[in-house]
Amino acid sequence: MEKLKIGGLKQSVELCQFDLKGQDSSERIVSGVSKLLASRKINISFLTYNPNRNSYHRFTFCVSQDESLSSSKILKEEGSLPIDWQVNCREHVGIISIFPRHSAIRILGDIMVSWAGQSIPIYGISTSLSAISFVTDYQLIDKAIEVVQDLFQLPDNHAPIRPELLYYQSTNVKGD
Amino acid sequence: METIAVYWESRIKTYGFQGVNDLAFIEFSYPLHEMRSLGEILSNDELQALTPKFIMAQELDHEISFVFCLPGKEGRDFHVSLEKTSGPSHHRYIYPVGIIFFHGPHFGDRYGIADATFSTLSKTDIKIIASGCSSSSVFLVLLQDDIAKAEKVLAQTFDVAK
Repeated sequence: MEKLKIGGLKQSVELCQFDLKGQDSSERIVSGVSKLLASRKINISFLTYNPNRNSYHRFTFCVSQDESLSSSKILKEEGSLPIDWQVNCREHVGIISIFPRHSAIRILGDIMVSWAGQSIPIYGISTSLSAISFVTDYQLIDKAIEVVQDLFQLPDNHAPIRPELLYYQSTNVKGD
Repeated sequence: METIAVYWESRIKTYGFQGVNDLAFIEFSYPLHEMRSLGEILSNDELQALTPKFIMAQELDHEISFVFCLPGKEGRDFHVSLEKTSGPSHHRYIYPVGIIFFHGPHFGDRYGIADATFSTLSKTDIKIIASGCSSSSVFLVLLQDDIAKAEKVLAQTFDVAK
């Protein structure tokens, strides 16, 4: 059977995922936590926010594994979160982004079936303008990529899957 | 890994805002141990005509909770088909909603974008129904009537390409 063609595949660096869950003031939490992370120059690589789910609000975000400790400290600081909010930290995760030309639902379903068969977990999903991104265990990321490569046909001239370059905003302020 | 680029932008640049209206928000949850069954359902040929504008999922408490934003009629049909199945442990439907999404040259590799987005919206009466940020894009699901207002306030925060 002919494999479904996809436009590309990319993996992230090693990340740490924080899952926040609580009942009150969800929008204040999302803006407050985002502000605290920005004030420490911590980039959020992945974020999902779903308020009012079963009367709970859920806010999930991923930061670089190197920023795990500092992010955790921010969330534990007094006043960062209301006392009834729960924080779960899942270290050593990674993101696999698949760039579909079409067939987003098919790609999603096929990945769920195949990864479940290989005991590869999915901790989060979000679509963007051009990709579907899956959060999974970083230690299983090579296996997860192999499964994706077996499922779909990548372009012949595909760019490297692993990140090769790191860009960041300078700490030195320059004039416009 | 080698660092090859360092930049500075005082005001976060975007390529502009795009909005889609007349969408249905469908949320449903499945136990994690049924991930494979749900995947088989999604791979079914009958669902391949769906044209989701936004999908996100969160895993928590041994469940995976999905959000699909689908064009109005597709959303209604999907909602009805979900109601007929016994699989989902939670199901929510909101219509009409809209999405506003944007990206920029340094989205994905700089800090402060979520702060700029959510802090701006928190100063208004706009309620966020859901949001997903990945692969250099920010997606916001809002009530349809809030889309124009959201674009207006976000355009004051971000540097929008002319």
